[in-house]
Amino acid sequence: MENKNLIHPAILPIAPKPSQYGIDPSLVKTRVAELPGMCSLKLSELFPELPDVIFPGGEGALDKLYELAKDEIRKVDMSMIQPDQSVNVLASHHGFTLLGGQPYAVLLKAIRDVVIEKTGCKNIRLRAGVGMRFRETEEYIKRYGLDTYYGPGKAKGVAPVDEGIPIETEIGTLYGIKAIYDADWIIHAHHTDVREVHFHRQIDKAVKPFSMSYARIESRSTYHQNLGPRAANFTARAIFESKFVQSKFAFGAFLNVGPHGVIGVIADNNLYNINDRATFIGCQLYGKVMTLFGKIDECIAVLDFPCPVPYVFSAGVIYANFTGANSDLYDMEGTPLPGYTWYTEAFYGKNGKPLLPETPPLNPAIKMCVHNYAWTGYPSAFFSEHIPTVVVGAEQAKLFDTEPMNIKYMDHATIAKTTEGAMEFAYNATGTDKVIIFDGAMGGLNCSESLAKELIEKAPAVSKEVEEVLMPKWFRQRGVDMSVLEKLK
Amino acid sequence: MKRVTMNAVVDQNLCIGCKICEKVCPVYAIQVTNRKAFSDDQKCVACANCADRCPQHAIKMVERAEIRELGVDVSKFDPKEIRALCEKAHLNPEQILCYCTGTRAEEVAACLLGGATTPEEVSAQTGIRTACTIECIQPLLRLVQAAGNELHPDPNGWRWYGVTTTAWEIPQEVKDKYNSRGFYFDEDRELLDRVVKVGADKQ
Ligand code: SF4
Ligand code: SF4
Repeated sequence: MENKNLIHPAILPIAPKPSQYGIDPSLVKTRVAELPGMCSLKLSELFPELPDVIFPGGEGALDKLYELAKDEIRKVDMSMIQPDQSVNVLASHHGFTLLGGQPYAVLLKAIRDVVIEKTGCKNIRLRAGVGMRFRETEEYIKRYGLDTYYGPGKAKGVAPVDEGIPIETEIGTLYGIKAIYDADWIIHAHHTDVREVHFHRQIDKAVKPFSMSYARIESRSTYHQNLGPRAANFTARAIFESKFVQSKFAFGAFLNVGPHGVIGVIADNNLYNINDRATFIGCQLYGKVMTLFGKIDECIAVLDFPCPVPYVFSAGVIYANFTGANSDLYDMEGTPLPGYTWYTEAFYGKNGKPLLPETPPLNPAIKMCVHNYAWTGYPSAFFSEHIPTVVVGAEQAKLFDTEPMNIKYMDHATIAKTTEGAMEFAYNATGTDKVIIFDGAMGGLNCSESLAKELIEKAPAVSKEVEEVLMPKWFRQRGVDMSVLEKLK
Repeated sequence: MKRVTMNAVVDQNLCIGCKICEKVCPVYAIQVTNRKAFSDDQKCVACANCADRCPQHAIKMVERAEIRELGVDVSKFDPKEIRALCEKAHLNPEQILCYCTGTRAEEVAACLLGGATTPEEVSAQTGIRTACTIECIQPLLRLVQAAGNELHPDPNGWRWYGVTTTAWEIPQEVKDKYNSRGFYFDEDRELLDRVVKVGADKQ
């Protein structure tokens, strides 16, 4: 590939956001993408076979998305919803971290409007679940005006410690959040972004929130502690398949996204139709970027995004998955335990080494992590314990030191006063000038020119490997063959 | 081991006495009396659940004047007994149960061998489940139960409701039905069993 034409000026990173989980945005003085030597690659140029996107897409893109979302949602059967009944639109925090958050907010608005239009039902509520930051979706509801859009008292954030409700499943009693199910009907509003491949292993991706953001602590702990790294996501299917959930499920409406943007909207009364798309097309769209990242032999990883440490994004890949990119996360047989997942973290002994010798280390290509801007609200000490980490600013370090889930994060990390100082330190200490920036740059990825050249060079072979070698294996392990892609077109 | 660096403080003027804070506190450190909540800074383990669920935003987490350290000294207990208890709950003594505090199974087992009988007592002594309060509830309940204690969730709270299925209990018909979708039930069970046994020969 011709290098020169593919290297662009750095893309504007996602702006810091005011939140109780991060430092005041005014303290983020410099973004790493602004520094000399940084550039961007466009994913549609790296992998030209990626489908076109609506967003990012210039002025009017969000309006276009709203209209398209309404058209797609209108196609689903809503005859079960009576005008005098209640409907809960179920949302999750993840969606608001995608592509600036606006596209997901647009979807949530479109769902409400079409349900009113088609059914005459007025009692439509928004229930937005969280990960481990119990106020996070409350912040998003306000930021995107969903409280006023849904009306007084109709939009609320829910947390896994809120009052629960038992749900009888094929594997016994599991527990959901009562407020999620306190309506006659539920609508599952989500997205096809793969995000935590280390957890769900791209099995039943579309179903996962039923055991996470919609679930009580008991179910979430079942997922992360009771079933094992490759059976974990069955918790979600067990809950979704329960008579209770089935009796309330109206339909799913998903933002159809790729690592490069919003492709469209999918809505269906059968969640498994959406699930097949999310799972198998997801392998194709995201599998290539993930595999390409796994080919990076050395780099400095920069965190620079309003999200907890593991969830900062680059080209649709979260940092947590980059720390495990030395293994094939989609390979169910070859990678029972990736370098990072909670089961792996649990299985490190007191000597700081894995209990099972075959456990891969955290991605050894990451020579240092520069934590320019990332949030608390997720236990992240495992990363700073195993990857040399430099945190920018004493205020940020202090925030981590006083946050219950990260009391030990700064035990292993060092502090630099400025972004420039942190980068200088990283260059000198590691000897590499290759930098990958997890800053949510839309449509592409920000990195150093040296890394850009390497990625451009490796992309065509990766694309071929994924299509011809890896996808057939991944699909076989998930009970289908490549013809599924044709069916899903 | 957990360092408690913060403390919950209630603004009485904002509190409406709804008791949500009480219901989500993992260690009974906050209580409502005469329609006002009071937190006990000698019991508070700084999980911030109360502060993050209070509908009035009446609770703030503030830095403690003196840091409190929670932890149980494992070396005071017989390693064989610790291992036996952990294995009964399908856990390796060295495995980490709480991703936030790094509390290992052996410390929870030691705490139970030392006389604790409820998850709340174990949390107060070891620090397990005092940060996110989500992910380690199942192995904690499993260990409390394996130590011979009956589990009785507090009907006046939402702390936890009960134990759930593990890899060792999934019915065969469920596995047969869903295996082909890519769930590796038996392989994962085998992996978990191998983890449990690591170090057993050294004893
Ligand atoms: S949750 Fe808040 S308002 Fe309710 S009793 Fe506790 S402090 Fe008071
Ligand atoms: S232990 Fe947690 S819930 Fe209880 S008072 Fe302290 S911060 Fe609040």
